[in-house]
Amino acid sequence: MALSTGKFGKYDPQNPTKDRITDIGPRHYWEFFPPSIQKNYGKWLYHEVLEPGVLVHVSETGDKVYTVRCGSPRLMTVHHVREICDIADKYCNGYVRFTTRNNIEFIVDSLEKVEALKKDLSSRKFVSGSYKFPVGGTGASITNIVHTQGYVHCHTPATDASSLVKAVMDELFEYFTGMTLPAKVRLAVACCLNMCGAVHCSDIALLGIHRKPPIIDHEVIDQVCELPLVISSCPTGAISPDKTPEGRKTLKIKVDRCMFCGNCYTMCPALPIADKEGDGVAILVGGKISNSISEPKFSKVVVAYQPNNFPRYPEVVQTVKKIVEVYAADARKHERLGDWAERIGWEKFFEKTGIPFTEHLIDDYRLAYDTFRTSTQFKFTEAAWNVSRAAGGID
Amino acid sequence: MFQPKRPQRELKYEELRIYTDEELNNFSEEELKDFKIKHDIPALEELEKGPWPSFVADAKQEALRRRKLADDRVMIDRYVVEDLLGQLELSFKDGETHWKHGGIVGVFGYGGGVIGRYSDVPEKFPGIAHFHTIRVNQPASMFYKTDFLRALCDLWEYRGSGLVNMHGSTGDIILLGTTTEQLEPIFYDMTHELDQDLGGSGSNLRTPSCCIGKARCEWACYDTQEMCYEMTMHYQDELHRPAFPYKFKFKFDGCPNGCVASIARADISFIGTWRDDIRIDQEAVRAYIAGDIVPRGGAHRGRDWGKFDIQKEVIDLCPSQCMWMEDGKLVIDNKECVRCMHCINVMPQALRPGTDTGVSILVGAKAPILEGAQISQVIVPFMKAEPPYDNVKEVIERIWEFWMEEGKNRERVGELIQRVGLPKFLEVIGLPPAPQMIKAPRANPYIFWKEEDVTGGFTRDIKDYRARHKR
Amino acid sequence: MDEIKKAIVEYASTSRKTRFYFKDMEKAVQEKVPTAKAREIKKAASELINEGTLIYFSTGSTTMYGLKDRCASDEPQQ
Repeated sequence: MALSTGKFGKYDPQNPTKDRITDIGPRHYWEFFPPSIQKNYGKWLYHEVLEPGVLVHVSETGDKVYTVRCGSPRLMTVHHVREICDIADKYCNGYVRFTTRNNIEFIVDSLEKVEALKKDLSSRKFVSGSYKFPVGGTGASITNIVHTQGYVHCHTPATDASSLVKAVMDELFEYFTGMTLPAKVRLAVACCLNMCGAVHCSDIALLGIHRKPPIIDHEVIDQVCELPLVISSCPTGAISPDKTPEGRKTLKIKVDRCMFCGNCYTMCPALPIADKEGDGVAILVGGKISNSISEPKFSKVVVAYQPNNFPRYPEVVQTVKKIVEVYAADARKHERLGDWAERIGWEKFFEKTGIPFTEHLIDDYRLAYDTFRTSTQFKFTEAAWNVSRAAGGID
Repeated sequence: MFQPKRPQRELKYEELRIYTDEELNNFSEEELKDFKIKHDIPALEELEKGPWPSFVADAKQEALRRRKLADDRVMIDRYVVEDLLGQLELSFKDGETHWKHGGIVGVFGYGGGVIGRYSDVPEKFPGIAHFHTIRVNQPASMFYKTDFLRALCDLWEYRGSGLVNMHGSTGDIILLGTTTEQLEPIFYDMTHELDQDLGGSGSNLRTPSCCIGKARCEWACYDTQEMCYEMTMHYQDELHRPAFPYKFKFKFDGCPNGCVASIARADISFIGTWRDDIRIDQEAVRAYIAGDIVPRGGAHRGRDWGKFDIQKEVIDLCPSQCMWMEDGKLVIDNKECVRCMHCINVMPQALRPGTDTGVSILVGAKAPILEGAQISQVIVPFMKAEPPYDNVKEVIERIWEFWMEEGKNRERVGELIQRVGLPKFLEVIGLPPAPQMIKAPRANPYIFWKEEDVTGGFTRDIKDYRARHKR
Repeated sequence: MDEIKKAIVEYASTSRKTRFYFKDMEKAVQEKVPTAKAREIKKAASELINEGTLIYFSTGSTTMYGLKDRCASDEPQQ
């Protein structure tokens, strides 16, 4: 009844199947619920956000439970997790919860405990000065960014994730600790088109992209990759079989068909695609997953590329900040970012945010036609007059 | 009710622990302030500034801890965290990642749960020559007792890097970075001592996840934790031993607000809903109108939006325009309601979902690779979802059977439906078509009629035709 | 079951690909044993894994199978 020590612990490398336990699944959730949650399970009447980061849930039993929510970097050490446990032991009888957006929630049973907890959380800082447990992320705020691994653990990224999240959240911090926006704004980061973070339905999504085609490692490709699988992995059919001058089997890539998705590299390590000048960040906006008011929808690309300017990505951060500020000033109460952009029209979105509209933002992949304006209902902006002038329609 | 499928071992950190209190508090704040890791990391140190929690500042704490633990108190390289930071700094400089593809690593008998990873500059960063990830299947909706977390921390600091993600994108606890040699010892202790299994990766059922549900939300229309747990346990073989064409995800959202994003991220999205009437407390409606209750539970407190206006903020925003005020009362024409949740979200004390509840089942969401991103589409508008969920399991298994039979390698089920067509999919699954499954009927008339659709079939005689029409 | 296992090993030993998807293996087995269902093939493959004959090869996103003796380890040379 103790965790084992020594190189292999209780595991016997000579006899790997001895006493093997498999297929037991996760721990059952019920034992991890605080008693107040067990008691009021399924009996909740309503909830309220008392202030940024503090929720109260009221049960039909008359019980009230208070939740204090705080941010986390998602990537953390066991030392940090133990500090979370210390707090949970001190205030919450040893219970703690994480949200789907990587926030930490401490649940207590009185407002006095909320105050003490908040004070404690806000006082805890890393030696370099940043908060360990910033309280916020509720209501009409920007809550924690869901993100992927980036250079910390991934073999296919086009940008880093943890650093980008840190840079963006530092700049948008007041929106995490406040509730001043027209509606919640959900940010997400994925470091390549595989989108492990599934950023495609976020209010603002930051996506790592490649812009140079893969390099072919002709010397080893035939040994390290299954060539037919690589060929069939290309969504545009740009990859075909080839031979080197020495007669070795290899591949060739039709560069004008490459859409830089990196799927071939996922299948084959001999086709590296990452590149310092090529890689960067695209910004997508206006997606949502909730069914509330409008239907769930995809985020749309509004900036095709910004550089990977490590470690603080000033270009990306300033663009995101600008979008949030313009949205905050212009949207109606309850209106999500995408609903706002659709109401005012995308031409107005570009005008108001000052983001240049480029040819890269016009879809030319499958089903592109669905995104074309097939009506005379549009608004005039400077972009329209530019076209008129180019067409000789006005002076 | 609320019983685990097998008895759970009770966990007590005091019994499980590896490290002493002294070892857990083995550095002072002063030491940390002066601490420099063995590599120069100016770019990363820039990320120690600013208000948001800094993963670099945190990583340095662990780096220092590992420096000070005795040799026999860490089973992998004590410089693992320092080397990770060093390689990250190098990646910033090079603008490229320094991880290689991983392949044949895992725990014996499982085809998922471990992601192999190797540094491509191991001579510079020997501590991360191997840096494999372990996915640990999180408990439903991610509540924990600290005994469990502390024990997991000890295990992972002793046999791994001490770096974790709370949590990964799919929901698992991610243990980041250990050697091949330590994978089996970790799995042994995790199963034997923590009574805890790995999550999914590769062409498996991926670790299912759910929203907070009935644990702390008034809108959960079914028991998301119970259903998530049941499906996870029932399909353990699918989770650990890959036989699918590609990954497959379940997610369980308790209501159409969709807090676990099932509609964007799951091959089968289970979204709670109701088929009777929204419950109305007219007195509370009046209190909202009078300004006695703060709208949207106070979510807009940070700014002065003026007095609450039920017409402007609720009634006019209703997507199906099915509500209005009549003699001081709020009236909802529930037959016309599309259950978007907006009115309930804004006036939670006055309005509640109905009581005849179940799930809507949607299929096919995925990220862009290969055929573009997809949002799940409706296939079953309403279904009762109660233990043991045999009705749901039957639908799931029919979908799997079709996908395993017809799906191409690395084709998600949503892409398969695109390829073969929704009508064919419905036919195989055994569901009748319904207008709820589409946004609008097709605009093109190119219908793939089948022979049995047409009176007299497809076989015709040209002579017969020519008897009526000259050449 | 033994028949299916035999067919799997035969395919795994002779296939042009050293690593292959479940589906490719399933098709190859069904040529030899037409009555074999996907579920049975999976069971047989799992047994071969447990016996140490087959191994899994995972890219993280997808998993393939291979004959242990034909798949070189991707461990870095130390």
